[in-house]
Amino acid sequence: MNTKTLLRNALLLAVLAIPLLPFAGDYLLHVLTLIMVYMVLAMGLNVVPGLCGMLDLGFVGFYGVGAYTCGLLTMNYELSLWLILPIAALNGAVWGILRGAPTLRLTGDYFAIVTFGFSELVVLFLTNEIWLTRGPLGLPGIAPASIDLSWLSKAINPEWDWYWEFIGEKPYFYMAFVMVVGVFFMMRRIEDSRIGRAWFAIREDDLAAASAGIDVQIYKVIAYAVSAAIGAVAGSFLARWTMFLSPDMFKFWESFLVLCMIVLGGLGNMTGALLGSVVLIAMGELLREILPRLGMPAETRFIVYGLIMVLIMRFKPSGFLPKIADAALHNPIIVELRRSLKAKGVV
Amino acid sequence: MNASAPLLKVDGVSKQFGGLMALSEVSFEVLPGRITGLIGPNGAGKTTLFNCIAGVYTPTKGRLLFDAADGARRTNGFKPERMTALGIARTFQNIRLFSQLTVLDNVRIGRHCRTSQGLFGAIFRTAAQVAEERRIVDEAMRWLSFVGLEGKAFFQSSALSYGDQRRLEIARALATGPRLLLLDEPAAGMNPQETASLVGLIHAIMKEGVTVVLIEHDMKLVMSICEHLVVLDHGMKIAEGGPRDIRENPQVIEAYLGRGAAHA
Ligand SMILES: Nc1ncnc2c1ncn2[C@@H]1O[C@H](COP(=O)(O)OP(=O)(O)OP(=O)(O)O)[C@@H](O)[C@H]1O
Ligand SMILES: [Mg+2]
Repeated sequence: MNTKTLLRNALLLAVLAIPLLPFAGDYLLHVLTLIMVYMVLAMGLNVVPGLCGMLDLGFVGFYGVGAYTCGLLTMNYELSLWLILPIAALNGAVWGILRGAPTLRLTGDYFAIVTFGFSELVVLFLTNEIWLTRGPLGLPGIAPASIDLSWLSKAINPEWDWYWEFIGEKPYFYMAFVMVVGVFFMMRRIEDSRIGRAWFAIREDDLAAASAGIDVQIYKVIAYAVSAAIGAVAGSFLARWTMFLSPDMFKFWESFLVLCMIVLGGLGNMTGALLGSVVLIAMGELLREILPRLGMPAETRFIVYGLIMVLIMRFKPSGFLPKIADAALHNPIIVELRRSLKAKGVV
Repeated sequence: MNASAPLLKVDGVSKQFGGLMALSEVSFEVLPGRITGLIGPNGAGKTTLFNCIAGVYTPTKGRLLFDAADGARRTNGFKPERMTALGIARTFQNIRLFSQLTVLDNVRIGRHCRTSQGLFGAIFRTAAQVAEERRIVDEAMRWLSFVGLEGKAFFQSSALSYGDQRRLEIARALATGPRLLLLDEPAAGMNPQETASLVGLIHAIMKEGVTVVLIEHDMKLVMSICEHLVVLDHGMKIAEGGPRDIRENPQVIEAYLGRGAAHA
């Protein structure tokens, strides 16, 4: 194990230990969980502008679709979150494809405008289709997440009842942690595969990609589906965590914030997406404290975000971790190849 | 000279851009195993013709017939990725690499159309996926050493010299497993040594069973390696034949040097 993996594992363990610390109150855990939700969102969004190079201004739409899918299935059918997650991911993917397919021929600004329009449509739908979503009243009292293994325990011993309801921040913290790690490893693997390379090729030069044999349109659709599915998973978590949803949780600002995260971290770099989420959410929380003391409304923090983006564009236009396709370099096949090239004295 | 059927037949192909006839009724055949050169002054329509053959443009008129592995077929209107899958690969006049990716990844992407693993294989790293990835790397390295870039496999492709970038584009094109390779001004920007080794490379490509069609302005290069030449001017084919005939063809001299030069 090299120092880098060691460091990474130590960091993971440290994060896992946080809830056990005496000073780790609900507020801290809440903020950390929020960071992790945004990590998932940022990794999901990263697929489209980061890996494929298409500016997406409406990612929050899929977050909303996922959240309401989960909220409604919970309230109306009392489904388990574990069943809802794949359903919501699938529903997100379907909407990703529905949004993506008609816009395949659009590039650049035109595509961005359509994505923006889509997320506004989602908000309008959630606000106005009161029969389904209760409109601006939102969905209060969504049941918390739970793990129900009583069917198994009762089969073993009728006295046992393996049923845990997620109470307080701790279980959500751990669940979010698992989600981040899972999505991260999944994305790193996809990134370092035939599909990931096709996406990067499209990002770099779509004509050259097509000439290399890539069906650009199909791979864009796959990207939209994967991206939207991840957004919807984050939304499902949100629904069972906050236990309340309303349409204005999915306004354009959310898309903008997540976009800032991946630009800050480095478009196309999954670790960068994680970094961007930490920085912007932590800063958001600080500003929420500081700004009112300076006599400014907390919403002025968006001005600060804007300022940061301007500074990034000026001084570090490709973000903190600008390297793309670096997962490939850690693939055992590639590591082995490098070693054998070195041994042969070729490199 | 060659009894085998043509690999590519360009039959009365025209391409119009608004009011501009970039190509008008161009016809010629590419025989397998024979290096064909496509020459003509700037703006003659050479690149446009490549773009029609490679599926980037659909010809306004005429037919393109490609003898793919599974039989001859009309390919008008096929998209570029489909042409690549059928066996036509190309390079670009103004180099188009995936510039932020490594040299190796550029060539690996060339294997895309000959491989098939999807999301499931990628996420779960199935045995089949790993085996395919291994084959992709082996193939890519084979083509990289073929063009002499093995030692730069892990360079970012934009960090390569101009000549190396052209070679990398050729390696990426070869990785797609073509039968026909279209090279658009491969020697542009190369120094004399690089050009000399390009000649060797093109002969090696032919030995691999890949037929080369070449657009080139460097007449010395063209005359030395092309066995057959097609000359375009203002979108029209003005001559066709062996290098010697072309060199002495008055119409060609006129196109290149202007009216009156042919009689000088
Ligand atoms: N997409 C396009 N739209 C409009 N006109 C075009 C397009 N592509 C090419 N042309 C025009 O068609 C004509 C032929 O261009 P082409 O690039 O094929 O020439 P060429 O023979 O490759 O020249 P060069 O030697 O300079 O590369 C030119 O007048 C060019 O401006
Ligand atoms: Mg040209």
